[in-house]
Amino acid sequence: MGTRERRYRSNESDRYLASLFNEAIITLSQRAKNEGIALAAVGGYGRAELSPGSDLDIVILHNDSFSDDELSTFVNTLLYPLWDSKSVDHSVRTRAQTRDAAHDDLKVALGLLDIRLVSGDADLVAAVQHDSIDSWRKDSRKRLPELRRSLDERHERAGELAYLLEPDLKEARGGLRDINALRAIKLSGAFDVPLEKISWAESTLANIREALHETTQKNRDRLLFQEQDRVAQHLDYADADLLMSDVARAARSVDYLLNTTWHKIEFKGKDGLGRILRKPRTTSIARGISVANQEVIIDSQVEIADDAVLGLRAAAKAAQLGMPLSLDSCERLATVLKEGKAQLPSPWPREARENLVALLGAGAAMIDVFEALDQEEIIFSWIPEWSSVRSLPQRNALHRHTVDRHMVETAVRAAALTRNVHRPDLLLVGALFHDIGKGSEEDHSERGARLIAPLAIRFGFPHEDVETLKILVQHHLLLSATATRRDLDDHATIASILAVIPDFETLELLHALSIADGEATGRAAWSEWKASLVEELVNKVRKAMSGSTVALQPDITDEQRQIAQSGILRVNIEARGVDYSIEIISPDKPGLLSIVAGVLNLARLDVRSARTKSHGPSAVMKWIVTPDPHAPAITAEKLHRDIEEALRNSKDIEERINARTEAYAQLPTIPVPPPIVESIRDAATDATVFEVRSHDRPALLFRIGAAVAQSQVDIRSAIVTTLGAEAIDTLYVTEISGGALSDERAREVRERLASMLK
Amino acid sequence: MKLITAILKPFKLDDVKNALQAHGINGMTVSEASGFGRQKGHTEVYRGAEYTVDLVPKVRLEVLVDDSEANSVVDVIVKAASTGSIGDGKVWTTPVDQIVRVRTGERGVDAI
Repeated sequence: MGTRERRYRSNESDRYLASLFNEAIITLSQRAKNEGIALAAVGGYGRAELSPGSDLDIVILHNDSFSDDELSTFVNTLLYPLWDSKSVDHSVRTRAQTRDAAHDDLKVALGLLDIRLVSGDADLVAAVQHDSIDSWRKDSRKRLPELRRSLDERHERAGELAYLLEPDLKEARGGLRDINALRAIKLSGAFDVPLEKISWAESTLANIREALHETTQKNRDRLLFQEQDRVAQHLDYADADLLMSDVARAARSVDYLLNTTWHKIEFKGKDGLGRILRKPRTTSIARGISVANQEVIIDSQVEIADDAVLGLRAAAKAAQLGMPLSLDSCERLATVLKEGKAQLPSPWPREARENLVALLGAGAAMIDVFEALDQEEIIFSWIPEWSSVRSLPQRNALHRHTVDRHMVETAVRAAALTRNVHRPDLLLVGALFHDIGKGSEEDHSERGARLIAPLAIRFGFPHEDVETLKILVQHHLLLSATATRRDLDDHATIASILAVIPDFETLELLHALSIADGEATGRAAWSEWKASLVEELVNKVRKAMSGSTVALQPDITDEQRQIAQSGILRVNIEARGVDYSIEIISPDKPGLLSIVAGVLNLARLDVRSARTKSHGPSAVMKWIVTPDPHAPAITAEKLHRDIEEALRNSKDIEERINARTEAYAQLPTIPVPPPIVESIRDAATDATVFEVRSHDRPALLFRIGAAVAQSQVDIRSAIVTTLGAEAIDTLYVTEISGGALSDERAREVRERLASMLK
Repeated sequence: MKLITAILKPFKLDDVKNALQAHGINGMTVSEASGFGRQKGHTEVYRGAEYTVDLVPKVRLEVLVDDSEANSVVDVIVKAASTGSIGDGKVWTTPVDQIVRVRTGERGVDAI
């Protein structure tokens, strides 16, 4: 089994065909012997890669100096002995006819790239080979898009090799035909394809195909479920799961190389509109990270080893922009990580965790970035536990994907449900690791709960969040199992859920995780029917619970109270790693939240969280901000001056902010779930609570504050939280004269907020 | 021959399946269904928003039996599916003209 055997098989066929060729040549007139006619191998046979069931793809080339009868007799004499023993695909052409056929038919053109003399006129075969490669190169601008279309159609038809229960080793995405396509792209000279990256994949897939042919004695490339055990045994795998794991790994590496190759071909030296650029335009988007050639790159002058969060930041930015992370940057990052440099400390800094959450929160755009991190083995440096589920197959009709990809898909579905929960970060991380316990005989939920705890601690989650994540992983099947198997009208059923789910927040997280997990698994596991049962259960449990998900108003210290009473503006700044913690005590006025948020935005400071509370004539505010890469140095004096100025005259803030956000608008965006604005009247006695849950965007808080101020109401407290790329803002709002808002006024504020967020 | 169709509360499926198997019935078709009978839909209230759940999720179970078995199988299903509360479902029988086992071509009672 292996390349040598396939070559041996090919050599045997060569010898046999050469002997038949020599017998057939006797039928030709004397003058033409060995001149003007040749037998050549093309396609897989041309590459001397013959599996037991492979067709013999051959071309009989001639120089048009034979009569039709003569040629027909020759071909029949040559091929007749083969009819019963071998499956032969043949054509008879002159050099010019071959050129035309290649021009008209992509499949012919691809096959000819591997043409090889078997017997006869070597010059004729050499000339056709030259023609084929030459025109493939010259016409690459036309032929490569044609190749891509044919691949897309085939992938659509045959599915993904890595994830199908019964994949076609040749036709499916990531299969042997894709490897040939990559070889053809390299031959075109359009892009230097690093084929060495998939040499393991190629030999693995070719060996498995060969074993399939040998065990079934058939020329069939579809690896049926019932044949997987025998093929595994034939190749000395311990079981079929390990075989399918290798199939998945191989297919994924081929697919990854193909994807990055197409991207390079499509965008190299062009801008977003496909226009050719002499010099690629580079736009800096974060510290050490830029966009060039429609992909996210780590800046070449940046020392990766000095910044442990750089990789996660780049991955998060790429996913949030819906762009790939460049192959070169991935390779640079992987090299540094393999040298043991740029290692994340334990626990991770907040920025690293936020970037992981932002990466996961990008939805479908995250898949390709995550795949790149997997292929370059970067993810294993950050999360070593991921290697235990890498390409781990789930060979049953229920699942569509390997364990790792299923968890990635669950996170994608979870990203669409982030508005349904108050802790999108815990939902996304829970989704990515809910099946981390798979791969052993032990109950995977129990094992998963044990594995997630140290991981969550390493990510830097506080103790109570670690406990929530443990519950999510341990009980991720609880709601669906209970909803379908237990009587929802029975109090004991509801009590059994209440016994493990401590509060609303965890219940809504588990509900969202159940939906995401079900949807990612596929139609066999999730349906509207099941969703409605789970929803009924959740509603019943919710009714039986007490408590609230509304964020509480912040406390202020005695010292802050004293300064607040004085009504004087005070600004304090404290550096915290890459962030700043800013305390602002400012004379209160309508729209203050918006004004301060605007000043911070113009100082190029990205608000990560804020807690504000009115006290006496002032408001006490605590902000955590991250400066963007081009932010000027920040000092308390400068910020004091800016706020003072803005309190006197806030008119031009909006104009300046609009100008800034326009610059962001040129970058692409990804689809995100729509924002939600809710007003909750009974959450506080003297205020109406508004909750805004939205994807983060530049100047979000400035605009929320402004929209509320337009309604002539007062923000008593605000709790602003950014988790990854998701923002949750809770505002305690009163009438200027004091007291909660009427239903009518609350609706007015809600509508203003909703229309601003559109 | 009869086709017995039962509409059940989803959580009762396992009980009914076990009871049928204990009765010697090994083949059945189960599908997800939703609807309402006398139970009607019910109204839910969440954070002030009221919405009506029109269709209640149910399970539809189908079994083919010989005429002589029909009554006893219906009894087995009804007994196992009953909770005594509203929405327990319904069971009915339908006459069947012909049954063919696709693999062997057997017909009639032999194909059950």
